[in-house]
Parts: sequence; C-alpha cells; structure tokens
Amino acid sequence: MVSLDFLESVEVFKDLDDNQLRTIQNYCQITEFKREEKIFSAGEDPLFLWVVMQGQVDLHWEMPGRSAFAEKAVSTLSKASTFGWSSLVPPYKYRLSAYCASRTSELVKIARDDLINLFEEDAEIGYKVMSQLISVVGSRFLNLQEEVAKLRGRDIINRW
Amino acid sequence: MIGLDFLKRTDIFAGLNDEQLNQIMAACHEKGYESGQRLFAEGDNSDRVWTVMEGQVDLRFDLPGRPTSEENTIFSITAGNSLGWSSFVPPFKYKLSAYCATRNCKMLQVKKEYLLNFFEKDVRMGYQVISNLTGVASTHFHQLQNSATGPPVARVKITVHLATCGIAAGAREVMNALVEEISQANRPDIQVGTSGCIGRCESEPNVTVEIGGEDPIVYQKMTSEKIRQVFKEHVLAGQVQEKFRLI
Repeated sequence: MVSLDFLESVEVFKDLDDNQLRTIQNYCQITEFKREEKIFSAGEDPLFLWVVMQGQVDLHWEMPGRSAFAEKAVSTLSKASTFGWSSLVPPYKYRLSAYCASRTSELVKIARDDLINLFEEDAEIGYKVMSQLISVVGSRFLNLQEEVAKLRGRDIINRW
Repeated sequence: MIGLDFLKRTDIFAGLNDEQLNQIMAACHEKGYESGQRLFAEGDNSDRVWTVMEGQVDLRFDLPGRPTSEENTIFSITAGNSLGWSSFVPPFKYKLSAYCATRNCKMLQVKKEYLLNFFEKDVRMGYQVISNLTGVASTHFHQLQNSATGPPVARVKITVHLATCGIAAGAREVMNALVEEISQANRPDIQVGTSGCIGRCESEPNVTVEIGGEDPIVYQKMTSEKIRQVFKEHVLAGQVQEKFRLI
C-alpha cells in the first residue's frame, strides 16, 4: 500500500488534498525491478505513469548509430520522481527508455486509462496534476537540450 | 483580426467551448514581426503564451558571442501552433530564442496571469488548456529529439514524387520550377529530393513538404504555377495551401 505521506511528496501530486490523494492511492500498484532491467522502451504504448518509491531509474535516449547517447542516461531519477509523462500526453508514445539503475527499484505504476478517466470526471484533480506534469516535461526538455547542445557543439567543431 | 474559428484551430485552445473562447479572445493581443526580428531570447522571462497566426517562427539555440543563424534552428512552427509553455514551468524562462522566419509573422499573445485568473474560476478550462500546453511541450521535446537525429542544416525537405505516373502527369516540369524558385530564394536549409509513387497516381504530380519536424503536407495535382505558389506561400511564408492539399 502506498502511503498518503509518500504520495504527497510526489511532484505531480503535491497540490492535491487528502481526499484527492486517497482517490489516486486506489489506483497505485507497486512493482519491483532489478539492476539494468528495462522498465519500458521508447516508442512503446505508454500504459502507465510511474513514480520512484525506492532506488534509482535512468532514462536513456537510444539513438541508432549514436553510441555515445546509447550508453549515457539523459536523466537519473530518485525517490518521488515521476516518469512516463507521455502516458498522459498525445500521441501517447514513450519518448525515452527507462532502466532500473540501482540494485533494486520499487516503483509505483498508475494505469493511464484510470488517470485520464479520473481527470475527465474531476477536472480539479486533472488541472492540479497536469499543471505539475508540464514541469516534469519541461525538466526533461532541459536535460535533453543539454545533450543536443553537446551534439551540436561537436557538429560545429567537426565542420571547422 | 482574431476570431473564434482561428482560436478553435489552435493547439492550445482546442476543445474549449465558445463561451470559454470568448474569454480568451478578450485577453488576446496581436503583434506583428518582420523577417529576422527576434520575438524573445533564451533566458528571458517567460510570462505569456504565443500562437502563430501568420508566417513561420524559428526556435533556435543561439551560441554565446555569435550572431544568430538558421543553422541553429531546432524546429519551426507555423499557423495555429504555439510556444511559451515555459511560462508555466519554473524558473519561467524561455528555453530557446524565437525569430520570425518569413517576410512577416503575426503572433497572438495571452499573458499567463490572465489565463490563471480564468482557470481559477473555471477549472475545466484550466485542465483543457494545461493539457493542451503539455501536448505542445511534448511536441517540442519530440522535435528536439528529431533535430539531433536529422541533418543539422536541412530544415525544410521537399520531395517530388517522380515515378512514371508522376512524370507522365508533369512532375519534371514541377521539379524544374521548384529548383528555379529555390535558386532565387538563397535558402541553404531547403533540401529537395525525389522519391517513387505514393500510391495515389490519380492525384499526380504529388509533392511532399516537411518543415522543421512538423507533420508532412502532401500536395496533389501540382503544376509549375501551383508549386511556385506552394513554395512562396507555404515554404517561405508558412501558410499551408489547403486548396492543393492531398494529405
């Protein structure tokens, strides 16, 4: 069972009141992964929104023919971080691949359909969660931008 | 002039009802820019959302101490598409610089403080707009990924479908006219290529235009005159030519 205290500490749920957190709590499932185990792949249909309860998760940008990116994590996530945001945003495809990066990771997964139905029924929860989720996307954008900047820098140097 | 029909077709206000759109419309501000003019710089305070009404806007990585260049364009956006999601994301700073990339650009702006006031009174409107805006951020994330996997310079890709059926329908003449227009435009970021039939022989000559990671537009029954118009109005001015559009 995921505690309300934990859910309250999760970035995307931080604005919810206790009643709203209890509703979310009903949809949470706990699952465990071992080191280097793949949680999902880029391009897959994202059925779940994920939260790290314990351990560490790496998000990888797996680009064909670019081994430097394949081996390096774009983001490393720890306790209370959310990932799999594309489960709630069209066109509903995971953009990065996620791997367990600690001996074990305990993760909360919440079915996309449950969340979307909940948001449609209770727009206040939807508004509060999506207002935080956009920050998660923004943060991943910045991480990715740093990687692209490095790549662009290399391209410029190579053109000299 | 901003109208309800335009707002309904935008990526951030899609799904709102007329009453909600009327409120948004009252808070909108229209502003024009000329070719090369900067709308905002990376790191500036982000306090509003922007939607392209006319023209094309380039989002660029400007390198410190160097003049801006089309080569640094990460992606481009055209009419009905928006930017400025960073106004809802701490630390509320623009992540890229934006430039008008066509002769003229007309932009719609709505200040975040007005939107937040609306959302406080109408949480369903807030849910819809913030969900749409998250979709915009997601699209930009995807375009950023694409910009790193594609060629660094080519930003516009035009494909003339030159199979036997296309050639019989006049695709070579279309290609010649296109090459002539490109040579006059002096745009090294435009890449022209050819490919086979797309299975729509009845609508040949077909031409596909892809700009800055946006969904490709396929034009049908092209002639020399029509491709010149597509080039001038869509590629250079950002206005998709719906009357010639196949897909």
